[in-house]
Amino acid sequence: MSLLRGGTCRWIAALALTLLLSGCGTLSPALRPGDGLPQQAYAGAPFFAQEIHHCGPAALAGALGASGVTTTPDALAPQVYLPGREGSLQLELVAAARGAGRIAYVLQPELEAALREVAAGRPVLVLQNLGLSWYPRWHYALLIGYDLAAGSITLHSGTERDYVTALATFDRTWARAGRWALVIPAPGTLPATARELPYIAAAAALERSDPVAAEAAYDTALVRWPASLPARLGLGNARYARGDLAGAEAAFSAAARAHPDAAVAYNNHAHVLARLGRRAEALAAARRAVELAGDSLPEARRTLEEIQGPGAGN
Amino acid sequence: MNMRRVICGVLALSLAGGTIHVPLAQAALVGTGEVVAAATLGQAADEARQRLAALLARDDVVAALQGHGVDAAQARARVDSLSDEEVQQLAGQIDQLPAGGDVLGIAVFVFLVLLFTDIMGYTDIFPFVKKTAR
Repeated sequence: MSLLRGGTCRWIAALALTLLLSGCGTLSPALRPGDGLPQQAYAGAPFFAQEIHHCGPAALAGALGASGVTTTPDALAPQVYLPGREGSLQLELVAAARGAGRIAYVLQPELEAALREVAAGRPVLVLQNLGLSWYPRWHYALLIGYDLAAGSITLHSGTERDYVTALATFDRTWARAGRWALVIPAPGTLPATARELPYIAAAAALERSDPVAAEAAYDTALVRWPASLPARLGLGNARYARGDLAGAEAAFSAAARAHPDAAVAYNNHAHVLARLGRRAEALAAARRAVELAGDSLPEARRTLEEIQGPGAGN
Repeated sequence: MNMRRVICGVLALSLAGGTIHVPLAQAALVGTGEVVAAATLGQAADEARQRLAALLARDDVVAALQGHGVDAAQARARVDSLSDEEVQQLAGQIDQLPAGGDVLGIAVFVFLVLLFTDIMGYTDIFPFVKKTAR
């Protein structure tokens, strides 16, 4: 009797498994490759076997290694590992990448975006929930390859180098973690799927701690989006932050020329001109900024007041 | 009494400290983060406006609005007069409706939102609504 019951259970389990597997076999429309995506790709990245709970530092060390930063999980662990939570938070990984002077760019939460990065030779740091939504097992891994025909992807995951698993399974575990994906481009390169404003926001976040790296990122952005006002202003701000007043002046001047209705460009230009002692030009730019902005940019009025100096008559 | 004087002194000092920081050299430079944030908001608002305009241009929506005595052209004009934040809020609320939700539901929803914005004094579509603002 007990044998029979055991057999029934096994049969039901097998049936359930078959149903699940048949589900895995067909890719949802979201998993269909887009135009121009190669059938297969492999992006090299250093592999670090994870020590207990240290999947975050291990994956980050690999991604940083691929972007030209030599480091190890042990060196990164103090920055990103939270002993109380036995893991790392995404924000910690982002901050540690910036600490290494690199742009941390979070991808669109779509499989195609991640695969495009891999096809461009860039490993993608992914967060997975290997368990279930109500029994989560969070895990960071490095997505380094895929094969659309075989329906498989390749990861550096935990202690496994070049771990090959089903694309559909990966997508489920990844979707359970909100499809969070991070790329760390090498200096002078843009993520293949980079969009203008998110990329410049990522560079701006780097500006405070590493204006030199941020300046390079704005330069890179301007190659792709030459008409980008935020990139041009960022370039000026980064140069200003590292003390290059002449360079900042050139960037803001170019910004004002290319965007003659942008009050921010005139405001920042005026400020730097004043710092350079070119008072007449500074005054003209500051007046133009106030004229353009009205009350929408309080900084413009402050800049003008600063340049006019205390007690200035006009 | 003495205590109060001390507290006043500390407050005055901290206030003065706050104002001393303002004229510092960096104060008048607009940071890249602010520029990106403003541009991102503007872009999202543009997209939201386009989506709302497309919704209000649909025949079934127009008909449903008319059924409620609302002129669609007027509704479009009201959407135009909403601020960037309000437009995004409105579009976001419509996004949260069940996908492929029934059109009449959406129209009624738009109607209700416009009614609400009327009450708040943002819009002025329905003459029967008593404005709270001004």
